[in-house]
Amino acid sequence: MTEAEQAREEVAEFQKQIGALREEIGRVIVGNRDVIDGVLSCMLGSSHALLEGVPGLGKTMLVRTLAGVLGLEFSRIQFTPDLMPADIIGTVVLDEGAGGARTLEFRRGPIFANIVLADEVNRATPKTQSALLEAMQEHRVTVGRTTHVIEEPYFVLATQNPLEMEGTYPLPEAQLDRFFYKLEVPFPSRDELHAIIDRTTTAQHAEVKRVLTRAQILQMQALVRRVPVARHVQDYAIRVLQATHPNGEEAPDLVKRFVRTGASPRGAQAMLLGAKVRALFDGRFAASIDDVKATALAALRHRVLLSFEGEAEGVAPDRVISEILKKLPGSKE
Amino acid sequence: MAPSDGIALLRRAARRAGRRARAAAVFRRIALLLPLPLGYAVLVLTLVKALRLDAPSQRVWWLLGVIPLLVFLVGVGRALFGRRPSWQGSIALDQFHGFHDRVTSALSFSEVPAAERTPLMQAAIEDGVALAGRLDPRGAVPIQLPRELGVALALLLGLCTLSLLEVRHYRRLPPPASFEPMVMSADDIELFREVAKELQAKNDDPNALIAVRRFNQLVEDIAEHRLDRHEVFQRMGELERDLKDNLELDRDARDDGLKGLARELEKSGLSKATATAIDEKRLADAEKALRELAEKLKKKEGRPSAAELDKLRQALEKASRSNEERAKNIDQRRRELEEDRKSLLKKKGDKPDAGPGPEQDKKLADNERRLEHLDREKNRAERSQRQMSELDKQLAQAARDLMHDAGQSAQDLEQGAQDINRMAKQEASEEQKQELLKKLQEMRELMRQQGKGGKDQMQRLQKFGQRARGQSGAGQGQPGEGQGEGQQGGKKDGPLRFGSGPGSVSIDVPVPQTVSGQGQGQPSADKPGGSDPGATGPGYGSGHDPNLAGNATDLKGKTKDVTAAGADTGQGAASSQVIYGAAERGFVGRGYKRVFTDYQTVAERALSQDEIPAGYRFYVRRYFQLIRPRE
Repeated sequence: MTEAEQAREEVAEFQKQIGALREEIGRVIVGNRDVIDGVLSCMLGSSHALLEGVPGLGKTMLVRTLAGVLGLEFSRIQFTPDLMPADIIGTVVLDEGAGGARTLEFRRGPIFANIVLADEVNRATPKTQSALLEAMQEHRVTVGRTTHVIEEPYFVLATQNPLEMEGTYPLPEAQLDRFFYKLEVPFPSRDELHAIIDRTTTAQHAEVKRVLTRAQILQMQALVRRVPVARHVQDYAIRVLQATHPNGEEAPDLVKRFVRTGASPRGAQAMLLGAKVRALFDGRFAASIDDVKATALAALRHRVLLSFEGEAEGVAPDRVISEILKKLPGSKE
Repeated sequence: MAPSDGIALLRRAARRAGRRARAAAVFRRIALLLPLPLGYAVLVLTLVKALRLDAPSQRVWWLLGVIPLLVFLVGVGRALFGRRPSWQGSIALDQFHGFHDRVTSALSFSEVPAAERTPLMQAAIEDGVALAGRLDPRGAVPIQLPRELGVALALLLGLCTLSLLEVRHYRRLPPPASFEPMVMSADDIELFREVAKELQAKNDDPNALIAVRRFNQLVEDIAEHRLDRHEVFQRMGELERDLKDNLELDRDARDDGLKGLARELEKSGLSKATATAIDEKRLADAEKALRELAEKLKKKEGRPSAAELDKLRQALEKASRSNEERAKNIDQRRRELEEDRKSLLKKKGDKPDAGPGPEQDKKLADNERRLEHLDREKNRAERSQRQMSELDKQLAQAARDLMHDAGQSAQDLEQGAQDINRMAKQEASEEQKQELLKKLQEMRELMRQQGKGGKDQMQRLQKFGQRARGQSGAGQGQPGEGQGEGQQGGKKDGPLRFGSGPGSVSIDVPVPQTVSGQGQGQPSADKPGGSDPGATGPGYGSGHDPNLAGNATDLKGKTKDVTAAGADTGQGAASSQVIYGAAERGFVGRGYKRVFTDYQTVAERALSQDEIPAGYRFYVRRYFQLIRPRE
């Protein structure tokens, strides 16, 4: 078997596993295919996701289901204003042993899990929010002089409620940038609501089974990284990123008028990684411009900061990014 | 299919799609930019046709058209030769077939060296190659006619239509020059005919006769309405100029010749009387004196002495040569001056860098002036020689004959006397020419006066003519205003009035100035004459005011009846009666001619002596022209 054939088989296996994963999740979660794919993309891209949606749309359920089907350790942190960093990282306690010997022992917080749900992350103080920073970026936590490595795969899913803004602490730009995608959970359709009601108001209780092992997940993450990206696709992602900056060469007028700061290079990374995941989802061996386009909204909407004028005019970042994608030709090189 | 073949196929398809994309871009650019030069051409053509731009303006507008044309050419050139994205063709294929960049990625990865290719890259290449058979460049990049081409085609159509469209401009042409003949009244024509006839009868000088014939022809041409105003004045000017030139030159030349002759003849006592008469231009006396000398020579008794005769011979001989020698002298001086001039010019030519040389230039200018003067002198001397040639010949013959036969010499002198007589006649003919010149000037003044004020002036002059002949404007007599009115004038503005004779009508002279009036009317106690209701036609009118004497005297005043009876002296009718009678008959009659001559003489004298404005002179002379005696 040639390497190409082997790669082809890997891609096919990936597609099969993703299919199984989607099917299992679908047994609990009704609809929200894009959100599920987005969450899976974040996980397979070895990064984190920010979910935004009104309460009751199944955000927590989705994360819990995902943890269930992946057979990974899951922890949920409900962010509240009085939540302290130690509450999520963990703390050192004095432990008295059987012989009466007393030792200082580090008790791990909920952040030490494979999948962490940071529920209503904008309700905690910035100090507590920043406690997530090192863990999300470095996949390790330093307490005192000791650094504790978090076991891979590590995946933080944060949620926030866009309605109740009073008494909240909006995430700072640096922290937002650490999220791979910002996914907006839409309100379910009529049919979906029927299905949700049926599943949650009857005696039926769907149990999910474990579909993937931890090793398989790591293998899939590695495969994503190996997916090649042609030069023109990468160039397109970079041009999109540059166009989000008001002084960008190809920035449309909307960006020039309403955008204060464009996306950071992490935006391009997120777009391309997401594109790779999408290519694998489709069983393709390379990412395409269409994949970049499909991931651009989720990858850039929390990275594009609107100007005061943009805020006042009610311009949504999604509108800005859509305008860029519409105006930017597929190839320039 | 081997991957390399597949890649080649992919490349070919991508290139084809790329070429089609370039062609489509060129078409789009043409359609987009073509309206620019076409629109400009439409604009310029509209301007040219509507505003009728002249050739230089048209050139400027068309030259400015280079700008839109250049924009079009540069734009199309960039679309045709400009750099296009490398993967334009393959991306178009991917998008058309929905291949999610599988073709483009395969082509892109195929450029990576085989050793550096990852398994997934290889898989992607093979995946792309598998699609090679399904590619459709024509469908991927359709070449459609751009929508903008409609605008260009519409403009092209407009341009063609506009170029075929003929915008007619109506230019109002000036009316064709109409021939307006110079009109002169029949009476005036008759006057000038009479003048010409009279001059012709008086003259036997061929030059003068030619001038008179030309004048006569001019009058006839005017009478036949063959000449317009411009031509009449031109012909009059030519005639006048010729007459004047010849008159002056001939007179001066003859005077010169006679002076030279007199100078020599004076040297002999026998010919002194002749010399004095010649010198004083009494040619008749000179002829008489010469004949007397001839008689003296013929007589055998009391003949002059030999010394006197010798002196006479010498005088005659020198006199005969005086003109010739004078011409020779002039010629000699002229030659000397010509040589001086050549020498001066040569000096100047030898030193062209020596500066202007003011002294030299002055000399040269003086030389030229003197040469011109001598040329004129020479001309006069030659003319004089011609005129005096016959007399010179006779005098030379007389001098020769005097040596051996005094009788023969006397005959020669008699012939010389005849020649002097001829010259005297010639002088008389010059007077006729002067007369002709005067008439020409009168005619010109008449025409000038008729023409300078347009129709109004013409009407005024006609009215003036009618009244001068004793007619009213309507051809009927008006109540006379007599001498009182005629002598009014005084210092006031308005027309000057002439009484026209026996208390009939006054004549308005259209002179818009403040001047003194000059009444010449005479009261008449007689009844007015005829009542011709306005004679029309070429001749003068003969009607008179029916109430020529004016209103009856008011007897209510403090008057005293006095009866006076005139004594019959047998001397004929008074001037007023003669004039009155002549006017009734159309200014004919011997008596009227006499009275007219008397009056005209007085008037001419007054005109020549008194300070009378030029404008009035014309009317006075015109008045006398109009009432001149007829045959």
